[in-house]
Parts: sequence; C-alpha cells; structure tokens
Amino acid sequence: MSTPASYPEPKAGLQSDSHADAQSGAAISEKRERYTKALSQLLPDNCILSSTEQLKPYESDGLTVFKKSPLLVVLPETIDQIQAVIKWAASEHVPVVARGAGTGLSGGALPHEDGILLGLAKFNQILELNIEKGFARVQPGVRNLAISDAARSHGLYYAPDPSSQIACTIGGNVAENSGGVHCLKYGLTVHNVLAVTVVTIDGELLQIGSNALDSAGYDLLALLNGSEGMLAIVVEVIVKLLPTPPCAKLVMAAFDSVEDAGNAVGQVIAAGIIPAGLELMDKPAMQAAEAFAHCGYPVDSAALLLCELDGLEEEVSAQIDKVTGVFKSCHVSDLRIAESEEERLLLWKGRKSAFPAVGRLAPDYYCIDGTIPRGQLPYVLRRMEQLSAEYELPIANVFHAGDGNLHPLILFDANIPGETQRTEALGSRILLLCVEVGGTVTGEHGVGVEKINEMCVQFDEASLQQFHAIKAAFDPDGLLNPGKAVPTLQRCAEFGAMHVHRGELPFPELERF
Amino acid sequence: MSVQNQDQTEALVTQVHQALETKTPVNIVGGGSKAFLGKSVDAQTLDMNGHVGVVSYEPTELVVTVRTGTPMSELNALLAQNRQTLPFEPPVFGSGTIGGVLACGLSGPARPFAGAARDYVLGMRVINGQGQALRFGGEVMKNVAGYDAARLHVGAYGTLGVLLEASMKVLPLPEAQITLRHELTQANDNTGLVRMMRQPLPLSAATIINNSQYIRLSGSESAVRAAAKTCGGDVVPDGEAFWQSIRELTHEFFNDQRPLWRLSVPEFSPLIQGDIDGEWLLDWAGAQRFLKTNTDASTIFSAATAASGHASCYSANKMANNVPLFQPLEGAMLSLQSRLRDSFDAHRLFNPGRYHPEMDTGLNDQTNSKQSTSNQRPA
Repeated sequence: MSTPASYPEPKAGLQSDSHADAQSGAAISEKRERYTKALSQLLPDNCILSSTEQLKPYESDGLTVFKKSPLLVVLPETIDQIQAVIKWAASEHVPVVARGAGTGLSGGALPHEDGILLGLAKFNQILELNIEKGFARVQPGVRNLAISDAARSHGLYYAPDPSSQIACTIGGNVAENSGGVHCLKYGLTVHNVLAVTVVTIDGELLQIGSNALDSAGYDLLALLNGSEGMLAIVVEVIVKLLPTPPCAKLVMAAFDSVEDAGNAVGQVIAAGIIPAGLELMDKPAMQAAEAFAHCGYPVDSAALLLCELDGLEEEVSAQIDKVTGVFKSCHVSDLRIAESEEERLLLWKGRKSAFPAVGRLAPDYYCIDGTIPRGQLPYVLRRMEQLSAEYELPIANVFHAGDGNLHPLILFDANIPGETQRTEALGSRILLLCVEVGGTVTGEHGVGVEKINEMCVQFDEASLQQFHAIKAAFDPDGLLNPGKAVPTLQRCAEFGAMHVHRGELPFPELERF
Repeated sequence: MSVQNQDQTEALVTQVHQALETKTPVNIVGGGSKAFLGKSVDAQTLDMNGHVGVVSYEPTELVVTVRTGTPMSELNALLAQNRQTLPFEPPVFGSGTIGGVLACGLSGPARPFAGAARDYVLGMRVINGQGQALRFGGEVMKNVAGYDAARLHVGAYGTLGVLLEASMKVLPLPEAQITLRHELTQANDNTGLVRMMRQPLPLSAATIINNSQYIRLSGSESAVRAAAKTCGGDVVPDGEAFWQSIRELTHEFFNDQRPLWRLSVPEFSPLIQGDIDGEWLLDWAGAQRFLKTNTDASTIFSAATAASGHASCYSANKMANNVPLFQPLEGAMLSLQSRLRDSFDAHRLFNPGRYHPEMDTGLNDQTNSKQSTSNQRPA
C-alpha cells in the first residue's frame, strides 16, 4: 500500500513547541476531566476518547516528525453533534482541530495540546450518487477513491487523484485543495467540488456553493478549498463526476540529461497537447522505483518521462503521433508506448511506488513539496545537487512535470545525531529555492506546521496580515486549527532573525513591501 | 501584436491612500463596458485604463500575467498569435478589460466544460482598503500556500480590492471545432443536453434558443469528426460567429426593450415558468438561463431560489434604484460575507453599493465614526 501511513517514519521529534511541556500533568488531567464531563452531555460516551492509549494514534498525521497529544478526541456521528461540540468549544474557548484520515503530509491535522481533535472518520457515507445529473453528495470522511469506485460502473469518476487516494478523505482533500497526477488537465479539488456544507465557529450550518455553477456573493467555495480547516468544519461535500475517458495510453521516454527531458516537456506543451499526466523522475528515483517494481525502466538514463494521453480513441492516437514526434526531436534515448493495459499499469506502478521505493534506500526519507515554473527545472535540479552535496544528504526527485510540482525526497537516518535537523534545514533551503525562482513553498501538501516559516519568505507582512483578517472574519477568536498555515508576524521576525544569525538572509533581492 | 506597457501601481496606491485619508469612496472603472451590471457608484473614478501591459508570458509555461487595465481584445490577440487562449472564453464587450472580466467573474459558453474565470486564476495583485498592495497565489499551476484570496476576488466586483495584476492559466487552442444544430420537438428542453454531458464527448458549448439546440465540439480533427458523427445534427457553417454572439450578448435574442436577467441554476433544474412571463435562452447546457421579462425582481429571485440557484439583472439602467440587481444575501451568509468585505475594505471605499449593497447598508454611520468594524463579530 502506498499510503503515507506505511512510509518509514523519522524517529526524532524536532522543532516541537517547547511550551507544550509547560503545562503540568495535573493541569492537563483536570482540563481533560472537565472537558470530558461537558462533552458527555453532548455526545455518546463511545464518541469521546480520553485515555493515553486512545489518544496515541491521533498524535500526528502523515508527517510523523511532529507529534502532540490533544486533550481529547471526539468522534461525533451526526451533524447536530458537530454543531453542539463546536458551540461548546466556542463558548469555552477551546481550540478545535479537524481530522479526516490523517494522511496529510504537512502536519495540518497535528493536534493542539490545549484543544480537542474532531475526528470525522464516522462520516463515511456516500449520501447520493446521481449518475444522470453527474454528481455525488458525500460525507467528509468518505475516501477519495471510494467515490470513483462507486461511480465507475456507470462510466463516471471523480477526477482529483492524490497518491494517498485509497486512504485520504474528501474532507481532507477540500481542506488541502489536493491535486494528483492528472490535475494539469482535470484540475485540483477546487475545480471539482460544487458545494460544501460547513459548520461555522458559531455552530451555524451553511451551504457554500450548489449544483449551479456559481453562487450569489463572494466565491467562498474557492476560499474554503485549501483553507486547512482554519475557516470552518466541512460536514458535507458535493463533487462533480466526469465521464471516464474511453481511451488512455502511456508513452515512456528516457533521456540522457535532465535538461533534455525538461525541454521535451515544454515542447509537448508547445505542440498544443495537454497530457492527462506528465511525470518526470530523475536517475535515483527511477532506479529505486525499478528495483522496487521491476517495471522495465531504462535505469542508465538520466531522466524518465511518463506521458499519459486520454480522451476519445481518435484524439489519443493523433496525440500519440505528435508526442512521439516531439520526443524524437528532443534527443530521446529510449521510447516506448505501452502496448497493453497491463503494460501501462506496470509503467505507472513504478512511478506510483516511487515514495516507498525510495524509502528502501535509506532508513528515513523526507518528502518536500514545492512548485516551480517548469522552465526553471534544470536550474533547480542543478542547485539541488549542490545543496545535496553541501548538506551531505542524497536527494531523489519525482516531479509532476506538467504542472511544475516538485517532490524531492531527502534520504537520511534519524538515528544519526543531527541528521534529522540537517534534513529539515535542507528541506527548508529547497523550499526557499522554489520561491526564489518564482514558485511556491507548497504545491499540494499544504503549509500545516511544516512550512509555516517559509511562508514568511513567500508572503510579505501586509499579505500575511490580510490572511489573518480573512481568518478573523470566519473565526474571530482563532479557535479552528490555530497556529497552522499562516505564520504570525512575530514568528516571521524570529525566523528572519534565525537566518541572519546564520549569515544567510534568504533572498534579500526579493520584493518585500 | 504588441500590447502597450505601463505600470501605474504606485499612482493607484497613492489614490487609494488619499481615498482612505478622506474616507471618500472610489468607483473603479476600466473599459466602462459593464455598466449594465450592478448599481452605478456615485463616487470619484479610479481609472484603470492606464494600467496596462503583459508582465510575463511564456507560452510553454501556460501562464500569462497581465495588468488589469489591458483590453481583452489585445490579450486575446496576443494569445491567439501563440495558438493559445483563455479557455473560459471571457466576453470582450468592445472596450472591456481583463480586470473587468475578472472583477465581474464573467465566463463564456465554454464554462460548463472548460471551467470558469476563477478556475483559471493562479495569482493576483490587489490593493486592499488600507492602501496596501498585496500578492496572493502566484504564477504556477499548483499552489496551496495561504488562503486562496486570488480566486476570491473573481466576481467580487472590485468590492474586496483594486485588482492590479492577474496571473492566469492558458491552454492551447483546439485544433478543430464544429458547431451542430438540432431541432427540438419541445422548446427549451435541455434533457438531451444533460444526458450528453454524462458522455465522454469533446463538448465545449451547448445552448438552446427556442426549438434550436446548438452544440460545439472541440479537439483534434479526427476526434471532432468522430464525435460529430455520434451526435448528428446539421453543421452550422459559421459556428464561431454564433458562439461569439452568445458570449458578447449580441445575438438578436438580447436585442429587446425588456430587462434582461441571468439565472444561474443546476443545469438539470426543470424549466421555470410559474408567474414569469418572458422569453428564455439556455446557455451552459441549461446552467445559465437568460430571461427577458417585465416580471418584477422579487418574483424572479423567488423562482431562482426555488430552482436552487440565484438571479442577477443584466439591465441595471432599466431598473428603479431601489430594486436589488443581485439575489439578496440573507442571515448568516450575509453576516459572513459582510465580515469578509470588512476584512479587505472596512471603510467601504471600493465600489460601495455596486455588488450586494445589503453588505454596505447602514455602514456609513459606522464608517464615519472612528471605530472600524473590522474583525468584529456581529452580536
């Protein structure tokens, strides 16, 4: 299984907030007891978890370097119960962190040590699968893949396909605005969600969006997607179902240099083709994937492209001709068109297992998630090679080449003292490199707690302040997932100071209002 | 085709600062082509026409960044030169600018198939009500850093800020297109279109006028040919001229004395009749319905609500001043949206009254007092 839950787990905790330890055990117990008592008026007892063993599985999400115990976990079963819990939390001023399957990779569902964790796992029902009208109305705890599985026999599917799709939930997808392999052509979560029903911090139930294509007033639906659980709690989602393309074909192309591969990607686009998927792996990633999945990758090449084309049969064969022509003109060293569905899936298997495959190369690895303008790829890869040497940590790269989303995987061993910290520092440098070339610190995994410092470099003070003002419009007391996604200005000042101390103020040439 | 290049950010920021100091609202105007949408704003003009030019455009990156005063006609021509397009098919409306298109959130006939204006926005620079030039999103396809405040400005009619620059995703022009006409036995019956939308067809537009159903197919030559065979119908010789007339609201249907309304409803909503006396044009496979009618606004709003959608008036100049032109917001939704407007423009400097004036009413007293309403919760 390629779910993040099965990824090797870095062992050392780092950057954990030291003030978490400031509360005495007695104070925590007292609060836990008091909250349990209050909540047991609102929820059946089996919906409240409070013992250490019960809380343990909720201490982290897919980013296991960050761990915290919440005071309580609540697992409500009805929307009424969620409303009651939120009203209680608002009146008692208790932080609330929502969680789906906990597969997130940025610590977005990391519990708050002074708050409750609101698990939505029990909301796992597809409420309506409407084939004629092309939508599914689902509860937030429904798994991403379960929607497509339910619709497939009717010739429809739900397009966004994050690699954790067998486990991750649609509520979490909305919170993170999840992407996937096919998003250059079919869009992100924000492009495929028609409506969400949310519980606001006042405990009100609001429907945002509808089956119509737009709504009166501001586009709150766009704002809610990717808001990392900071604005409201999603309790129902309507997603668009698309007709399954009747034909999908995969072209594999290998190149002797990453530059050639990068150039080939640009040339495919220039030829007027938008592939359904366009994935690039560098040599270390490809070799690891080959050793793991035995899919026949040409492991001596410098870079491998997987280019999937879908649509009507006629469209796909026309595009296959064009794409192979483009690759031939770009010094391709090995070119293969998957002849059968079996071969297509096998070639994909290597890419899809790249993370666990890389995981076998070292005791631990750390997945970075930045986006860059595609044309900057050769430069960024060169710089990363230098950084890799400087920090003495190997890096393997998988890249959603079509949309510029880069996933460097840093290999390390958490048992070696200092290596985890060095890994973190290298990760941060890579993210700042993405910003330097005009990209972003997160393409699809979210900011969470992981990239909160790097946000200070990507955004100027005034823009961050505007984010806080948006948050306050929804949640004036800052109770929903506090401390995530948007750094306080104070935190940025500290982060900046840290960099000055090291003598490497990041990108003084960057525009900062 | 070269687009004029002029960055007036500084001057615009200065003007917003002046407006802030004197608490004098501004009326943000680009090409002035969309005065028929929303109430006119009785305030000093903030002229966007000089803020023009392409900031960056690298066709193989599929991203263009432009200043918002850039005329749509110039932007379209530049993209077409590179065989690319804004797939949401924004209207030009003669002198219209890209800023106006985004502020009003307008998308053309391709919308149900290709996505809306907001779907193609990747980043935005805006001036907020404190006179700060802010940057949201970016120039890359995938970006989840910070709240998506860039898309939020699309369709906000400038009431959340002055749009300065927009970065948008562009796509290659389709290799081939064909427009087909079918005769319907029942006027305005879109059940066939709703069925068609669940099929893997390269549809890119679908409109019904009375008994005529028009569809457009886009893609590779061979795919369009194959799909046309499946769909049947008569080939419309100058299909693009027809779609242009729908997009630009120049089709003869729109030439009428009666006020024009737009209803945005689920495409599968039954036809709306009831107390409404008028004529319909169904665009977006039925998800966008234009109605010319003398029926009063409240009846139209009720009908839109009953059909799980909302209505807006496209004939501002024909309506009495006290008639709402956008489906009025209510209750918790109204308070939330007002607070959001506060968070960007607490003093209601930008286009007050133009978009959902119910968010602005009663505010003047508060604006005049020294206390800002920003970030306050309603009782």
